[in-house]
Amino acid sequence: MNEQEMRELFREMRDEPVPADSLTRVRASVDRRIHERLWMFVWKSAAALVVAGCIVGGFLLLRPGKASQPVRKVSAPEIAQVLPPVEIPALPATPVRPTLRPKRARPRPVEAVPVSIRIETPDPDVVILLVN
Amino acid sequence: MNEIRGEAVASFDQVLRRREAQVLRTAFRILGNWADAEDVAQEVFLRLHRRGLVFANDAAAGGWLYRVTVNLCLDRTRSARPSQELPDLASLDRSAEAAVLMEEQKRRLMSALALPAKERAAVVLREIEGLSTAEVAEALGSSEVTVRSQISKALVRLRGIFNREDV
Repeated sequence: MNEQEMRELFREMRDEPVPADSLTRVRASVDRRIHERLWMFVWKSAAALVVAGCIVGGFLLLRPGKASQPVRKVSAPEIAQVLPPVEIPALPATPVRPTLRPKRARPRPVEAVPVSIRIETPDPDVVILLVN
Repeated sequence: MNEIRGEAVASFDQVLRRREAQVLRTAFRILGNWADAEDVAQEVFLRLHRRGLVFANDAAAGGWLYRVTVNLCLDRTRSARPSQELPDLASLDRSAEAAVLMEEQKRRLMSALALPAKERAAVVLREIEGLSTAEVAEALGSSEVTVRSQISKALVRLRGIFNREDV
C-alpha cells in the first residue's frame, strides 16, 4: 500500500458512522450531568442564602433590644424664681456735720416682700406658681 | 449569548447533536476504544456547556471542540496506556467483495496507528478529519513544522508496516 492509497483510506474513514448507542449514551450522560450541576448550583445557592439569613437573624436577635430605640430624655422642670422689683426707699437728705458723729441709723424692720415661685412643667399649659 | 455568530441561533442541544459524532469519532480514533471515547465526549460537551456558546464563527467552534477533545485524549493516554488494537467502527452493510476488502484494510490501518499519542492525534486530525496543518497545529498546541514532521514520520512508519505485512 502506498501513501496515496493510505490517504484515500483515511479519507474514506472520515464520514464513517458512529455507533448509535454510543451517541445516545453520551447525550444522556451529558444531559444528566448538566442537570446535576444545575441542581447543585440551586442547592448551594439556597444553602448560602440560609446561612446568610441565620447570620443576619442571629445578629438582630443578639443585639440589645432597647439600644435601638432613641432614649427620651426627660428634662427636669425648670424652676424660675421671679421676684418683684424691690423699691429702695430714698434716704432723707440730711446735712452732714463733720463734727458730729453720724447717727447710726437704726435698722428698720424689713418689710416682708412677697415672693412667688414659678415652676414650669413639660406641659406648656401647666405652670406651678408658689406664692408665700 | 447562546449563539455561534454567523449561524442561526443554536441552542446547546443543537450544537451537541451536530457535533457529537465528530467529537466521539475523533476521540475514538485517538484512544482506540469506545468507552474512553464516550467519557471524553461527555467531558468535552460539559466543558462547552460551562464555557457557553460564544464563538466568532462555526470554524472557531469546531476548532475549540477539536482542541479540547485532543487535549482530553492526550491526558487520558498519559494516565493509561492506550489500547494497541483498535476495534473496527460500525461495519457498513456492504456486500461487495471490494467493500469487505476496504474494511479489512481500514482495520489494518487503524491497528497500525499505534503511534505516540500526539503523532496519532496529528494523523487523525490531518488525514481522517481533514483539518489543515495550521488547524492541527492549533489543536495540538504545536508548530506547523512539528505537525508536518509528525505526519510524515507516521506515514513512513505505516507504509513500512504495510509493506512488511504484504511481503
